[in-house]
Amino acid sequence: MKVSVDFGLCEANGICMGIIPEVFELDDQDYLHVLNDEVTPENEAQIRDAVRQCPRQAISIVDD
Amino acid sequence: MTQAELVFDPFSEEYFNNPFDIYRRMREEAPLYYDPKEDFYALSRHEDVEAALKDFESFSSSRGCDLAMVKGSEPPQKSIIFMDPPEHRHMRSLLNKAFTPRAIQAQRATVIELIEKYLSEADPDNFDVVQDFSGPFPVEVITRMAGVPEEYRQQVRHWIDTSLSREPGQVGYSEAGMQANVDTAMFYYNLVQQRRAEPQDDMISRLIAAEIPDDEGNLRRLDDIEICGFATLLGGAGAETVTKLMGTTMVNFARFPDQWQKLLDDRAKIPAAVEELLRYEGPVQYNVRFTLREAHVPSGTIPAGKPVFLLKASANRDADAFTDADTFDIDRDRAEAQNLGLGYGIHSCLGAALARMETAIALEHLLDFMPRYEVKWEGLRRVHMQNVAGYSHVPVKVLR
Repeated sequence: MKVSVDFGLCEANGICMGIIPEVFELDDQDYLHVLNDEVTPENEAQIRDAVRQCPRQAISIVDD
Repeated sequence: MTQAELVFDPFSEEYFNNPFDIYRRMREEAPLYYDPKEDFYALSRHEDVEAALKDFESFSSSRGCDLAMVKGSEPPQKSIIFMDPPEHRHMRSLLNKAFTPRAIQAQRATVIELIEKYLSEADPDNFDVVQDFSGPFPVEVITRMAGVPEEYRQQVRHWIDTSLSREPGQVGYSEAGMQANVDTAMFYYNLVQQRRAEPQDDMISRLIAAEIPDDEGNLRRLDDIEICGFATLLGGAGAETVTKLMGTTMVNFARFPDQWQKLLDDRAKIPAAVEELLRYEGPVQYNVRFTLREAHVPSGTIPAGKPVFLLKASANRDADAFTDADTFDIDRDRAEAQNLGLGYGIHSCLGAALARMETAIALEHLLDFMPRYEVKWEGLRRVHMQNVAGYSHVPVKVLR
């Protein structure tokens, strides 16, 4: 499974970065970077939290 | 004894005065509420409202967001809150970069300056939180961003109030409300013509210069009506919401002084307090959607072609989503469920970061201005409006 971001929906609220900065990074131009798109047993719970809490519904988890 | 029949009348005096009792009954007794008289549905549970907000393909915004609009035969004015994708996406992308949490920091100095101005003019013995403070300041911030000249900024707020006001039992616009809408449209139309001639560094000028794809994929400019619609929305949504949030804020802190004490003791809790205020009694009660097809939510199925109230203010009090949901607690666990106070999904509040910043800065200053205060309860006046709730008058006495 991989992290997928719809950049047309993302409005740089940065909630995801607050939850798991190892995966999501917002740069100082408001661009979101997915640092590591692999969903692993270690990060899955936090990534699912980020998916749920994104106010824009811009993040999803997709099957490879 | 049998309970009174459950009737959700969003234009009744009883609802205006206390929506939360009726919300509780709806969540318990009729989560898929149907009103046969007015032929609408209403969702009140958190899981249902959240699901409907996510499902924009079934729950359309294109017919408007209040009952009269959705049931009306005329299509609503051009405005991003009355659009579905892909049009919604194109229009929203024109301004959303100006409202990110980072970008909005550029407004911080303006917000502080305005808040200090209004508080410096305030009389601590005779201070009305809404009339003297939270009414005047937010509209100045957003209309300044939009490009409204200073001398018209307060007028914009009075037009909005007149347009949104509803007497008990009144569903559509009053004559005064219609006139306010006409005056607003004329004002923005003239302003757009001025900006076309002489662009400035403001949002209206940016909208004039912007291009979006049309149905064939060719780029096109926005017309006057689209720009006026956008400007009207900004002036409304960006002002009267924080106005109402601040009024309810100071009422609730008077009701729960232990929570105010927490802020006096530790101002680092202000951001958490803002979130709890938005959950516990945010200004937006509901938005109405229209089902384009049969729609499925956890509590059941809604047929196609129906207006549906999405009661966000009720969802935020749902005990199945939030522990002790009716308790105002600025320290609560915010990860329990999505706070729907600023919406959720594609139509979630564009100005959320600005609203949070304005409210947080206002709280910081009010903690200094009125560390101890009493609400003059007999002077509280509620607004009677659709979609939003709050107070028009919150008189207080600052204690020394």
